[in-house]
Amino acid sequence: MSEKKTVSVETLNEYKGRSLAQETWRRFLKNKGAIVGMAFMILLVILACSGDLIYDFQVDITGFSADLSESPSLDHLFGTDQLGRDIFARVIYGTRYSLIIGVGSVALGLVVGLITGSLAGFYGGFWDQLVMRANDILYSIPNIMLAVVIVQLLGKSIGSLLVALSISSATSFAKITRAAVMTIRGQEYVESAYAMGLPTWKIILKHIIPNCLSPIIVQVTLAIGSNIISASSLSFLGVGVPIPIPEWGTMLAEGRTYIVSEPWMCIFPGLAIMFTVLALNLMGDGLRDALDPKLKR
Amino acid sequence: MIRYVLKRLLFMIPTILLTSLIIFFAMKIAGGDPVKQILPENATVEQQENLREEMGLNDPLVVQYARYMAGLITGDMGESYVTGKDVLQTFMERLPMTLALGGSALIVACIISVPLGIYTALNQNTWKDTTGMVFALFGVSMPNFWLGLMLMLLFAVKWKLLPSQGAEGPEYLVLPALTVGLGLAALITRTTRSAMLDVIRQDYMTTAKAKGASHRRVIYYHGLKNAMIPIVTAIGMQFSLVMTGSALAEVVFSWPGIGRLVFESIDKRDEPMVTGAIILCCILMSIINLVVDLIYAFLDPRIKAQYSNKG
Amino acid sequence: MSEKILEIKDLVVHFETDDGCVKAINGLTLSVGKEKTLGLVGETGAGKTTTALSILNLVPSPPGVIKGGSIELDGKDVLQMSDKELEHMRGNDVAMIFQDPMTALNPVLTVGEQIAESIMLHEHISMKDAFERAKEMLKMVGIAESRAYDYPHQFSGGMRQRVVIAIALACQPNFLIADEPTTALDVTIQAQVLDLMKELIEKNHMSMLLITHDLGVVAEVCNDVAVMYAGRIVEIGSTEEVFNSTRHPYTEGLFDSLPNLKEQGEELVPIKGMMPDPMRLPEGCTFAPRCPYATEACTQTVPELRKMGGTHFVACHAYDDPSFRLRRNANG
Repeated sequence: MSEKKTVSVETLNEYKGRSLAQETWRRFLKNKGAIVGMAFMILLVILACSGDLIYDFQVDITGFSADLSESPSLDHLFGTDQLGRDIFARVIYGTRYSLIIGVGSVALGLVVGLITGSLAGFYGGFWDQLVMRANDILYSIPNIMLAVVIVQLLGKSIGSLLVALSISSATSFAKITRAAVMTIRGQEYVESAYAMGLPTWKIILKHIIPNCLSPIIVQVTLAIGSNIISASSLSFLGVGVPIPIPEWGTMLAEGRTYIVSEPWMCIFPGLAIMFTVLALNLMGDGLRDALDPKLKR
Repeated sequence: MIRYVLKRLLFMIPTILLTSLIIFFAMKIAGGDPVKQILPENATVEQQENLREEMGLNDPLVVQYARYMAGLITGDMGESYVTGKDVLQTFMERLPMTLALGGSALIVACIISVPLGIYTALNQNTWKDTTGMVFALFGVSMPNFWLGLMLMLLFAVKWKLLPSQGAEGPEYLVLPALTVGLGLAALITRTTRSAMLDVIRQDYMTTAKAKGASHRRVIYYHGLKNAMIPIVTAIGMQFSLVMTGSALAEVVFSWPGIGRLVFESIDKRDEPMVTGAIILCCILMSIINLVVDLIYAFLDPRIKAQYSNKG
Repeated sequence: MSEKILEIKDLVVHFETDDGCVKAINGLTLSVGKEKTLGLVGETGAGKTTTALSILNLVPSPPGVIKGGSIELDGKDVLQMSDKELEHMRGNDVAMIFQDPMTALNPVLTVGEQIAESIMLHEHISMKDAFERAKEMLKMVGIAESRAYDYPHQFSGGMRQRVVIAIALACQPNFLIADEPTTALDVTIQAQVLDLMKELIEKNHMSMLLITHDLGVVAEVCNDVAVMYAGRIVEIGSTEEVFNSTRHPYTEGLFDSLPNLKEQGEELVPIKGMMPDPMRLPEGCTFAPRCPYATEACTQTVPELRKMGGTHFVACHAYDDPSFRLRRNANG
């Protein structure tokens, strides 16, 4: 409708002079959910960094105490487990594992996905076939089974967990990058860059990568959340982070045995996962709306 | 159309070959020593060596792989090192349990998510929309197995309404199906909403209104018919998630399906069982993906034309 | 004056968005005579499409709000109609042809179904009978009957626009709104589609509101012209009156920015500046900031439409001075 077009043209005029990033940021700040999510994530990062200052790993986190299996109280906000360890302390301390695994696996997957996806999207042909076939295979094995096999192959450690999780993120990053690159490659401004005689690598760097950033930024935020969930699932199955490290999924695996007598052992680590992922999803949704205002309203 | 299906079936072969190759070698490396698993602990070295020779474990891995693939074609996928039972048979025994769980979860998910997605889209930016979306957001943010634990805590432990472990009757299916279904519902609600929002804005919706079609007719005849395409895509994309979700729910609720079979076998390093089950899962997923693609053709004449053209 | 099929009085439509209130239509008054074709001309963003949608009471809401005014269709106010009456009116009494035939058709229904739907809804006949009628409609717009079973993606742009016309005319409405029906088409196809519309309108004794920014199309098809700027009518009259004795500076600007074959050497004279931001319309005459004739008075009050003889009306303060002439008219 012609009226709507005018609005966007006028809106553009109004914001002339501000960069796209500033404009995105302004829209992001308007989104209350996204702000809450971001504030919560900042808090979590601070907690993850300062865990060692508040608690002693040997004593508070993996030690024993006489307060066996206490229900939540003022002394122990989240109660204590079968060994008398304070669950609040363990949940706080566990933040770092979830964040490291979430961010690390996404970073790894992002690098692999970006490279393979842009190769496939830009050169097409053989590369495209190769990458897409590989994606097909990974797509046809349930992620969690693949991850379990990989951890089994590499041995139980946080490192192999990172690798296992990064594979499923890599496929989704590759797909997004490939699609974005393929659309952008066909755009006229890229063709005009070619016509001007710009070398290929410069075109990729200057024109293509910046223009497929938005879907990738959004996917990064959402993937960190989903990888935190996957990591906790693997820990729950006993192939993730080993006991007694207070990874949230590991805590749930331990707590499951005591679900009837000490349900708080199951409730709080799960809530921690949920709120972390919720914060990331709020941020991701906010970023998506801010980066692509057309989608809103 | 038939040619398209045949072509897709042919394309499945390299996928399955490669998957089996990767899984086979991965499990050869990761799996334990089968001889020690089969023979009693006090077996002599000579007995072990005999068995090894008999099972062909001294041959090069490539030969072993070729032998395995030859067996695969005839439906012989070996026997479990732990139970001694036929792999294919064990898988087939477990399959109906997983299909029942996955299927009922999908039904639960669709019943909740599609109407909710449409409802929130039609009431966009009102409190109804916000409430629905907050629920969906919580749903996608929690680990599915934890939701299972919480449901178990409430319905089985606290209120003692439903059984929580095993599969002795239909009531045992309720909690696992709800667990997987609710998680899926949250995801599909979000997709349905955005698909519907997208469709509502299309010009053909105005055309339909300008023809004099009622609001209901415009939404449910013109709108939903178009929105179904991305909705089915979303559901189709979730099959991997249905499998993952079911696998975890099977562990939480001791439901004897494929997921639990795989995890237990991995735990016991039961190599033929794991290799076989994962390859069969891969075949199953490929077939499901093909079926989903064929459903698109029914929904979208543009895709149907594409399939026919490509032959 | 002859009888009117459509009379819009003081229509005000705003779009209330998060960023502010977009004043799309600000007191629009116009009328279309029976069996007459009125051309509504203006730049993109002048509010033409919103005017068209208002007549069907289809302004997207939210964010669109019809703030005031009346739209009388054959003596009945569209804005007061119940949902039932509206549904009965749309498609049956008034039909609309949309700008972009590529998006105006539902991609998952056959074109036959889409034409038949209109007939089925208004004449309460079975889908099967309606489908037969739809085939006849296709033949009427020059498409083979057998193609009723095809989907929109199997048609070219021009053919799709014919389908859109078939949908619009399926129930023999008295009044047709055509929103830039040829803009999205190739030039050669434009003429075909235009001829077809002209022919069908004459044959069925219909009236039409033709929205366009192409003055050539207006000259060819319309009896009357209304020129629209920033949500208001600035000049309205018979095609002859508006083309030959142009009164409004904006209309003059539109003519001057057209290339003229007879005077190829002459430079085009564009209208300087841009349409005002509909969120922040200037006080007084909205065209004043771009108007070469603007005076102090123009920025004070909004000019009313005044009669310039015959059916010719113009909204411009300059005519407070009886000796005022546009340059175009002064030169010859």
